[in-house]
Amino acid sequence: MYELRGIRKVFADGTVAVEDISLIVGSGEHVAFIGPSGAGKTTLFRLLNLTLRPTAGALIFEGQDVSALSDAGLRRTRTRIGTIYQQQNLVGRLRVVHNVLAGYLGRWSAATALASLVRPRDVAGAGRALAQVGIPEKLWARTDELSGGQQQRVAIARVLVQDPDVILADEPVSAVDPSLAVSIVTLLRDLSHESRKTLLMNLHSVDLALGHFPRIVGVREGRVLFDVAPDKVGPELLAELYAGHRDEELQLEQLRDGKVSFGAACRPLPGFRK
Amino acid sequence: MARFPSARPADRFRASGSKRLFPYLFTAVFAACVVFSVREAQVDPRVFLEGDALGNVAKFVRGMFPPKLDVEFLGLMAGPAIETVQISVMGTAIAIALGIPLGLLATSSLTWRGVLHERTSRTGRWLLGVVPYAASRAVLSVFRSIPEYVWAFMFVRAVGLGPFPGVLAIGVAYGGMLGKVYSEILENVSPRPLETLHAAGASRVGVILYGLVPQALPNVIAYTLYRWECAIRASAILGFVGAGGLGQQIELSMRMFQFDEVLTLLAILFALVASVDFISGRIRGWVA
Repeated sequence: MYELRGIRKVFADGTVAVEDISLIVGSGEHVAFIGPSGAGKTTLFRLLNLTLRPTAGALIFEGQDVSALSDAGLRRTRTRIGTIYQQQNLVGRLRVVHNVLAGYLGRWSAATALASLVRPRDVAGAGRALAQVGIPEKLWARTDELSGGQQQRVAIARVLVQDPDVILADEPVSAVDPSLAVSIVTLLRDLSHESRKTLLMNLHSVDLALGHFPRIVGVREGRVLFDVAPDKVGPELLAELYAGHRDEELQLEQLRDGKVSFGAACRPLPGFRK
Repeated sequence: MARFPSARPADRFRASGSKRLFPYLFTAVFAACVVFSVREAQVDPRVFLEGDALGNVAKFVRGMFPPKLDVEFLGLMAGPAIETVQISVMGTAIAIALGIPLGLLATSSLTWRGVLHERTSRTGRWLLGVVPYAASRAVLSVFRSIPEYVWAFMFVRAVGLGPFPGVLAIGVAYGGMLGKVYSEILENVSPRPLETLHAAGASRVGVILYGLVPQALPNVIAYTLYRWECAIRASAILGFVGAGGLGQQIELSMRMFQFDEVLTLLAILFALVASVDFISGRIRGWVA
């Protein structure tokens, strides 16, 4: 699915977000990315969904080097990659049905897109997607009237309508109620399993990653620190991953001592800024 | 990924130093400007007491009462009143037609800057982005920096007397203002939904329709309605240079010293502006 060779990303202001990452992800794989805030995970995901262009290195998607793609080819490739963000990536003023149907925009012509705003096209399809994520009754609601967890389900429904080959979920649960985090992660996992989609998820919570993914990639300072099965991720490895990031270290300690329950660890930590 | 660089102590010290001086400096400069302007602009209230100044004011005010309210005059003025509304509506329509395309081109986040264009090829970004962006900004600023009064004067020369030059003047001058404000509204929408749609393969038009327009629409409508209110007032002024409507009648009555007619006409204008204000307020409440 993906092959990354020595990917590096330096922003215009000189910040090095991704130092040097090489990685191969096979079709249908489920991979969780963990690491301290500022490690470059979000930038990595924006490189993977072809929003950003790597400063150096090669990014190969389905055997095709994406730097060789034309503007049109880039667009076609993007329709095969679905992204779910942390939050606030829906248009609150639009009804849920339109936010879900926006998943079709990669395939629709401009005229169809405009006509659908007046009279929604595939209402049944949008309804089915919402039923899959458990909120079929919200089809005609205004999106900004939904809770954070429900909005995240709308974002998932949109990706279902888009029907990509790979789903990238960038911290999909750090802005939702901790008690809902587990259900959203399992929902994403099960849906991509059923439809044999590749799933890459960026997680702030170590236990969610270890509990639901067969492959864990630890990212630190823009590099891959480890890339192993969850049973190989021990306390030493995690301590090394989060070394120097006090809040996360504290969270790990409390996890080890059993002071924090499963869900509570999903809450954004005090020092965590976006 | 936002980063928050912490302010270094040295920076903070320098900032507080200049902050302490700034209010005094500002006050001094401001006072100097006022003193200078009073002299240069020949502001002198004493001229009201000289000669027959007050007498003229009194004559003007006395002439206004009672306002002329006979049926024949009111009937005659219905035409110009409607014409004023029509000029403002048509002028605003032209302004919208000019403002939307120019405003879209003048939005940097749509044409060349930001995350939507990270992967667009460099020549594509210049030819289809920066060049049209700069050109439309220049056109918009020419349109709005020339007052509508001057535009009307030029259009009267070009197409003759009547409401049409007024329509054109409002259309061009307000098109420049609408385009500028539209582009500012569009640049201030949240970029996150745009990035999401773009990443899913949506075309430029798709991103505009599903990400940009729904976010910007309430502000765009509110500002356009506000401009329509201004257009009603402006169309009265434009009449002074022969561009039709109530303004032309006010100018005629003034020249004939028919101040009772002037008062009636001003009352009609006031009623028009107030009702437009009321209507636009209702629509704004409805779209918000």
